[in-house]
Amino acid sequence: MNRKENFTAGFIRENPVFGLYLGLCSTLAITTTLNNAIGMGVAVILVLVMSNVIISCLRKVTPSEIRIPVYIVVIATLVKIIQMLIKAYAPALDSALGVFIPLIVVNCIILGRAEAFASKNGIFDSALDGLGMGLGYTVSIIVMSALRQILATGILSFENPFDMEQVIFSFRLIPEDYIISMFSQPFGAFITFAFLAGGLAAYKNHQNAKEAKREAEAKQQAAQLAKEAK
Amino acid sequence: MDFGNLFVMFITFTLINNVILNQFLGICPFMGVSKKSSSALGMGAAVTFVIVAASLVTYGLYYAVLEPLNLQYMDLITFILVIASLVQLVEMVIKKMSPSLYKALGVYLPLITTNCVVLNVTLNNISEGYNFAEMMTYALAIPIGFTLVLYIFSTIRERLDASNVPAAFQGNPIALIVAGIMALAFSGLAGLV
Amino acid sequence: MAAVLFFAGLAGIYALLYYLNHKTPLPEGCENIKAECEGCHDSSCALHPSHDQ
Repeated sequence: MNRKENFTAGFIRENPVFGLYLGLCSTLAITTTLNNAIGMGVAVILVLVMSNVIISCLRKVTPSEIRIPVYIVVIATLVKIIQMLIKAYAPALDSALGVFIPLIVVNCIILGRAEAFASKNGIFDSALDGLGMGLGYTVSIIVMSALRQILATGILSFENPFDMEQVIFSFRLIPEDYIISMFSQPFGAFITFAFLAGGLAAYKNHQNAKEAKREAEAKQQAAQLAKEAK
Repeated sequence: MDFGNLFVMFITFTLINNVILNQFLGICPFMGVSKKSSSALGMGAAVTFVIVAASLVTYGLYYAVLEPLNLQYMDLITFILVIASLVQLVEMVIKKMSPSLYKALGVYLPLITTNCVVLNVTLNNISEGYNFAEMMTYALAIPIGFTLVLYIFSTIRERLDASNVPAAFQGNPIALIVAGIMALAFSGLAGLV
Repeated sequence: MAAVLFFAGLAGIYALLYYLNHKTPLPEGCENIKAECEGCHDSSCALHPSHDQ
């Protein structure tokens, strides 16, 4: 697989959230508003890229018996640094995301990529993989949070995370009489996720069926050609 | 000590503010280990044991070591290391002492290190400023609520296997819809306390 | 200084326990049991059913 394919795999084909079901807890919990999703996405990208780079640097000196402990220590340290930075510079985001920032430590995406990719590949490729997977996660939660926010409040808005007073954009898409406030509740989280994951699975099934059909046709054509040649 | 308050807290965290359906923690094992009701109970027991043990150790370490030394910023790394060490220790002891217990619980232990419920409980014990009795109630209520919901969900999934689900929704998506309906049912208990 | 010592102690305890635990043999009759976790589709996870093939 070349670098570009590796980078783009995280968006549709191997989407970490709706395809691989990684990091479900934070996805379901923080996708109530677009602000939370973007903040969480940026935090995850930072941790993922840095942990991939560090683990890739350490891959030759880490004894394989204790590699998981090493990964956990590296990730926990990075998450604590990010948590302190968010607390200092974006306190509103810190209180909105709450315990889900420290829980990035146990987010399967980070440990999974460390184990599956960074421990076997070079520094540059690992950084790229971290960025691709992190962006895949971020795009997924942005889509889901935008859907939930629009259905629950009718408004799509985004405020500057460093200064909540400063509204970057805010517009109403659904009149107030037709909003479904249930989508901001747990029920809405589960249902939105199920439909997005089901949608991705349907798309993949469709693509696989198309590919199988194309292959079968190619085979048939080849057989016909061979017959004619005889 | 006020047992009434502790009881209210217990009900709140098992039924109303349920760890899976309301706080969205532990979704991975909720999806992964809910195929059979026996494995749901095994996982639930393992999680309960590890949460109570980890809460006791981290609570002690935080107030006896981290706070006097002004090392509060080390909480996250301390807690995750304590949980991971505890899981390894418990697994080793069970392997040596009781093969039958290992058969029932041991296989689920490796799943617990990266279980967000455990880390969440240890972090909340500190950030909510619980005293010892509240901490123990919380550390018991959360995993009991987890086990309850996991068991109910596994019995539903056993029946779901026999039903005809659209191809795209097979597996996890239909399970998430069931979880959503369960969340809706549990939200009806909100008036209990 | 205290932070470094405390951290080194904890990490050392964890690495040691991890190593000891992986050296301890599985009890008889438990060699082949595994938790079948299908929570996520991450095929790199050691608990994923695709490793059984």
